[in-house]
Amino acid sequence: MKQKPRVAVFDFADCEGCELEIVDLEEELLDLIDIVDIVSFREAMKEHSDAYDIAIIEGSIMRPMDEQRLLRIRSKAKILVALGSCAAIGGVNKIRNQWMPDDVMKEVYGDANLKGNELFNVGKTKALNEVVPVDYYIHGCPIDREDFKRIITALALGKKPEVIRYPVCVECKKNENVCQFELGRFCLGPITRAGCKAICPTNNSPCDGCRGLVRKAETDCVKEVLERYHLTYEDIRRKCTMYNYGREECQVDEE
Amino acid sequence: MKENVQLISKKDMITFIDALIYDRTYEVVGVKKHRERYAYGILDSAEELCLDHDVTILPPKKYFLPQYEHLMKYSLEKPFQVQKELEEKPRIIIGMHPYDIIALQQSDLVYLDAQQDNFYKKRRENTVIIGADIQKISERSFAASMKTNVTSTGYDLMLTNIGRNYAVTVGTEKGTVLLQKYATTKTAAATDIKKIKTVRDTVAKKYKRRVKLDKNDWPKALADNYNHALWEERSDVCMECSSCTMVCPTCYCYDVRDESTLNLKEGERVRTWDGCLLKDFTKIGSGEIFREDVKERYRHRFYRKGNYLPNRYGFVACVGCGRCGIACLPDIADPCDVFNELASFGRSDDTARYFIKQPSEVAEKGVIHVPRSATITRVQAMTDTETMYELELDDKKPLGHKPGQFIELSIFGVGEAPFGVSSPPADAPTFEIVVRKVGNVTSRLSQMKAGDKVGIRGPFGNGFDPKMFEGKNIIFTSGGLGLVPMRSLIKYVLDPRYRKNYKNIIILYGATRPNKVMFMDEIDEWKKVEGVETQLTVDKCEDGQCWTGCIGLITTLFPKVDMKKFDAKNTAAVVVGPPIMYKFVIKCLQTMGIPDDQIVVSLERRMKCGVGKCGHCQINGIYTCKEGPVFVYKDIMNLPEAFE
Repeated sequence: MKQKPRVAVFDFADCEGCELEIVDLEEELLDLIDIVDIVSFREAMKEHSDAYDIAIIEGSIMRPMDEQRLLRIRSKAKILVALGSCAAIGGVNKIRNQWMPDDVMKEVYGDANLKGNELFNVGKTKALNEVVPVDYYIHGCPIDREDFKRIITALALGKKPEVIRYPVCVECKKNENVCQFELGRFCLGPITRAGCKAICPTNNSPCDGCRGLVRKAETDCVKEVLERYHLTYEDIRRKCTMYNYGREECQVDEE
Repeated sequence: MKENVQLISKKDMITFIDALIYDRTYEVVGVKKHRERYAYGILDSAEELCLDHDVTILPPKKYFLPQYEHLMKYSLEKPFQVQKELEEKPRIIIGMHPYDIIALQQSDLVYLDAQQDNFYKKRRENTVIIGADIQKISERSFAASMKTNVTSTGYDLMLTNIGRNYAVTVGTEKGTVLLQKYATTKTAAATDIKKIKTVRDTVAKKYKRRVKLDKNDWPKALADNYNHALWEERSDVCMECSSCTMVCPTCYCYDVRDESTLNLKEGERVRTWDGCLLKDFTKIGSGEIFREDVKERYRHRFYRKGNYLPNRYGFVACVGCGRCGIACLPDIADPCDVFNELASFGRSDDTARYFIKQPSEVAEKGVIHVPRSATITRVQAMTDTETMYELELDDKKPLGHKPGQFIELSIFGVGEAPFGVSSPPADAPTFEIVVRKVGNVTSRLSQMKAGDKVGIRGPFGNGFDPKMFEGKNIIFTSGGLGLVPMRSLIKYVLDPRYRKNYKNIIILYGATRPNKVMFMDEIDEWKKVEGVETQLTVDKCEDGQCWTGCIGLITTLFPKVDMKKFDAKNTAAVVVGPPIMYKFVIKCLQTMGIPDDQIVVSLERRMKCGVGKCGHCQINGIYTCKEGPVFVYKDIMNLPEAFE
């Protein structure tokens, strides 16, 4: 049998929730280690090896030391996969990009003297692809386990995972949900990448855009819809802040 | 036959429904309240059933063509093993409005045509339909003006609320049996039967939304306005979410993909709803998208409903349910609005034609979508990117293809892709394809070797008709991979058994670089045959590459064709190549005087199902997989999407 691909899981600035989703595969985790060799996964095991083919990375990049570490991982990995919103699009960590890093430090740590401490040398938040090329993306906050399985099985079979370029509405309609707009709520589903099986609207919560946008926020169609529902561009900009700060005009086509 | 109408009291109605539920012979589904709207769902008791609903979010198509459907199980451990699905309990659907029943009858015509969809058919036969006459009109519905607010066929039973009782119109023997077994009824009196009509008429008058353009005039109105500004204006604000097609009772396009279990031991081939408004709907393996502009996709949906399908099947594929109008956030999807706008335009001066040819007689053998097992018997590298595979069907039967036809090749876990057959028709069970590594299937194929198993469906489509060329000179023109399917025809006409049927032959072939030229040995053999000439060209020759032929685009070869040997009156031409090539080559041929009906082309589109159902390969009203891929140029020269 062909040698199994060696996989390492790393994290940067994140809540480790996406890694937890992997651990939460429970008995299926045995299936996972059947098809790949996990050589490093801090949240799940003690062992560590630097010899890996696929690096799966959670978290966003905040500090120069993070960039250096990411570059080292990239140089070792044949395939680099961004895991979850923080890694794929910056996610909630980008909310703080609204302010200057120094102001953020001051807000959080007050007058503590942290100058020269590398651990606190924080710049603007970056998604992985702002530092290194990313081969594949597993989107979501947290990731969807089925979506994770879809992409991992594809990679293990040596095929390119399908890149979803259509909005959440497609899956939401298949689930026969009452449209969140019809319920008087503001939902980012129409401009957000699908692949989550529309989990939020299906559970009666509007989409917050955690999988990134498939359409720029300032386009004629979005304007038209906003107008119809008495919303403004400012409303959508504010709603995009949660996961897509600074990316409202960034149609996610980099994949 | 006299109409059989029964009466059932409202109290007995509840008993009837509960009896159906508690008997457990059937899965009983009906219209239920679903938050602020209505939806079909399994009934736990008769109380949940709403017969006064306006419209459900999704149409009942979900019970015949589910959102996600497991077509078959495959094994990734055994070389080739397919397990077909799947026993489902018989089902009763209660509360279907007439427009949904009519929509279902329309999809019967599509799914139960010469190429039956076995999965659909089984569900259809397994379902009892209890319709309900409309009591409350959905605010977006315009069914009355589509004449779909009532129906006299398509149901087993039809319920009409006539006050204290329900009138039950019996449509089929199935319905009679159901009533006898589970319900307490009495025969309706003439006055009750009259009441049915009164109820229907009263509701019909209440429709506020009406289409001004009679639906029978839709095909013509569309044919006249293909390039109208309306399509661009309205699609400017399209979200490209395909919500309109998802909720439509007459939209039935689908995609098929493989989902493997995490342990990679097995998996399922899944069919799921697809939508023609989505950008990737027409995307092929090499990355090309055939309706890239949203305007084209937006227009396509209306043409499919109001022109393509009416021309093909004889029905307008809109039943006026108004679901798309509700679902579309920018509110541009509603056919009532679009056709009312068209009604006021009259005609512009378009000359577009949406030609429909007879479907190919070759239908898929066996169960739709289930491939036959085949073995790779020989692998031969052609260039650094192209490889030839010889395949043998494991049932040892010949493929039975004509030159120009294609097959769908499956690698389980990876997917399915179409390939033109490159070998000529043969009695042997082997055939050849040539593959360029571009997508997932071709990449995986490139790692496979002799002895490995793949799945084969087909042959599909209309191939070349060698009879058409009999007694004529032939100019073959191919670019790049175009030589692959063309080789099947070339080898056929050069076969010593048939060579005498054809006169002078010239084969023009262009490749991008010398190292991309395929079948060099065979081409050398071909030109040794009497009356056969070959001319090769490459777009460019890099330093250090060895090349003695022409350099330049394929069109540079045409001056080399001896017009005395290839007199325009008695010469036919075959053209196969990348999309960009056709326009220029056809112009050359026309300049030579070759008539349009003597030029034959083969087109590439996203052929997915191979049997004219999934919708991906449509060029306006035609299915490339069924009516093509080979066409006489004259037939499609005015088809707007063919050579754009």
